[in-house]
Amino acid sequence: MFSKGREPVSALLLLFPMLVLLGGFIFLPLGQVFVWSLFQQEVFGGPQRFIGLANFAEMGSDRVFWQALVNNMIFAVLSIVLQVGMGLVLAALLDHGVRRFRVVYRTIIFAPIVVSTAAIGLLWGLMLDPNIGPITDWMSLFGVPMPRNGILGEPDLALVGTIFVGAWQYTGFMMVILLAGMQSIPEELYEAARMDGCKGIRAFINITLPSIRNVIVTCVLLTVIGAFKVFDLVYVLTNGGPGTATEVLASYIFRNAFEFSNIGYANAMSVVFLGIALIFGVIQHRMIRK
Amino acid sequence: MSATTSTTMFPKTRKLAWLMHLFLIGYSLLILLPLTWVVMGALKTNREMFTDPIALPKDPNWGTFITAWDDGVRDYFFNSVIVSGFSVALIVVISAMAAYALTRLNFPFRRGLYLIIILCFAIPMHAVLVPIYVLLSDFGLLNTHAGLILPYAAFGLPFSIILMYSFFYEFPTELEEAAKLDGCGPWRRLWHVVLPLSKPILVSVAIFNLVSIWNEFLLATIVMTSPEVQTLPLGLVRFRDQYATNWPGMLAAITIGSLPLLAAFVAFQKYFIRSMAGMGK
Repeated sequence: MFSKGREPVSALLLLFPMLVLLGGFIFLPLGQVFVWSLFQQEVFGGPQRFIGLANFAEMGSDRVFWQALVNNMIFAVLSIVLQVGMGLVLAALLDHGVRRFRVVYRTIIFAPIVVSTAAIGLLWGLMLDPNIGPITDWMSLFGVPMPRNGILGEPDLALVGTIFVGAWQYTGFMMVILLAGMQSIPEELYEAARMDGCKGIRAFINITLPSIRNVIVTCVLLTVIGAFKVFDLVYVLTNGGPGTATEVLASYIFRNAFEFSNIGYANAMSVVFLGIALIFGVIQHRMIRK
Repeated sequence: MSATTSTTMFPKTRKLAWLMHLFLIGYSLLILLPLTWVVMGALKTNREMFTDPIALPKDPNWGTFITAWDDGVRDYFFNSVIVSGFSVALIVVISAMAAYALTRLNFPFRRGLYLIIILCFAIPMHAVLVPIYVLLSDFGLLNTHAGLILPYAAFGLPFSIILMYSFFYEFPTELEEAAKLDGCGPWRRLWHVVLPLSKPILVSVAIFNLVSIWNEFLLATIVMTSPEVQTLPLGLVRFRDQYATNWPGMLAAITIGSLPLLAAFVAFQKYFIRSMAGMGK
């Protein structure tokens, strides 16, 4: 578009700050994670001992690692159902359902996104507290018994409870993305369908859903990536417990690196984590380009 | 919302409209009740909190907010302001420069560089925590504001560049051609011609990054171990561990910490929604 000559020099100057930051904080660390995953190290700044792939072998027999991985998957699947499912319902109601107060509903439902997940974890930790949290009181009004240690204190319920809190925060995000997709569908499509007698739920199934197929897939991917990155919520609500019932990959890596003095092992798990992130990243990129 | 959606597609029976409103009101209450409970709880005494957690405060105790503010929330708040402010400013400026070079200038490996930036977008900070910790430690940046600002800026860049890239890509070049004929180099074309006309995307990028950086927790936990430099999310959790028995104080801290972004969101919600909905594109 513009002539050549000094352009590469200008380009280098414009790109320089970015190259420094990406190089220093993304590419250098990326290489180090791979190299350090082959070493055993107990303290930061302490000696490193080369052990080949032993860290990766350890993962195979580490029950907690697999539990964390499975917990991430449960997190992903349930979050898709709750966040994308409910997000679709809410977006449909705001798009072609109700006519009044739409901005009010949208504002309220989206609001939790701008609150920090740490604060939301604290808030729901208090709400669900078995002794003084109001949830127990509210539930007893309806005659629903609550476990004595609270939902987050029960190994079988803690993960599901955490997933619900996550959905409480993020469903509004999905709703807004899906709503933006729905609003870009031309109104003529609906009018033509109405001529043929197709309206209501059938218009939603035959027109809305197919038109925003890509947006729905993007939402599913965002939810899955988010579910594999979950840390704050688990750390604040349950700290991985009770026992290791709610341990996830990010919290287990964190614990190994900064609590268990198992730095090499943490790096090896980071390599696995990177692999998972890259797979979903590539799928997402393919989707965006379509 | 736009006028094009004013026709309803569902049958317009009164009963159905009521049911849909009922559903939306119910869901809104599910969001609003816990948030109100936080503010109400902050106004109660600890005794009221224990005896009846649901009841409204009998004698609103606004002093709790002042105590929480003086008791550390002030420091957390200003740390968050400094860290978020500098990070977002860096991200906006650096990503605009990079996206401009990538869309307007000819240089070797241009296409490859853009692909690398897309690759960076897929790499989560979670997976490189140990090396980042070691790097910051080597440079003496642990427990400093710069120790958070620089990595936040780095990890905020890829998505911001991708957003600006597609904006600049579709941006008409006639004005720049004219400026070029008048002897303006690439820097002046960027600052004086392109950026003043790019406010929507700059605002979107700023908001998106502000929300994620203001609330970031994992890296902050590792980098900021001494209380004087901690940001709000860390400070709130620290508050819980310190004041496990002072519920109103904790709830007041949560309220103060969440209020700035909530207020900004309600005031500028159009921009917030546009910025966040951009994730779906």
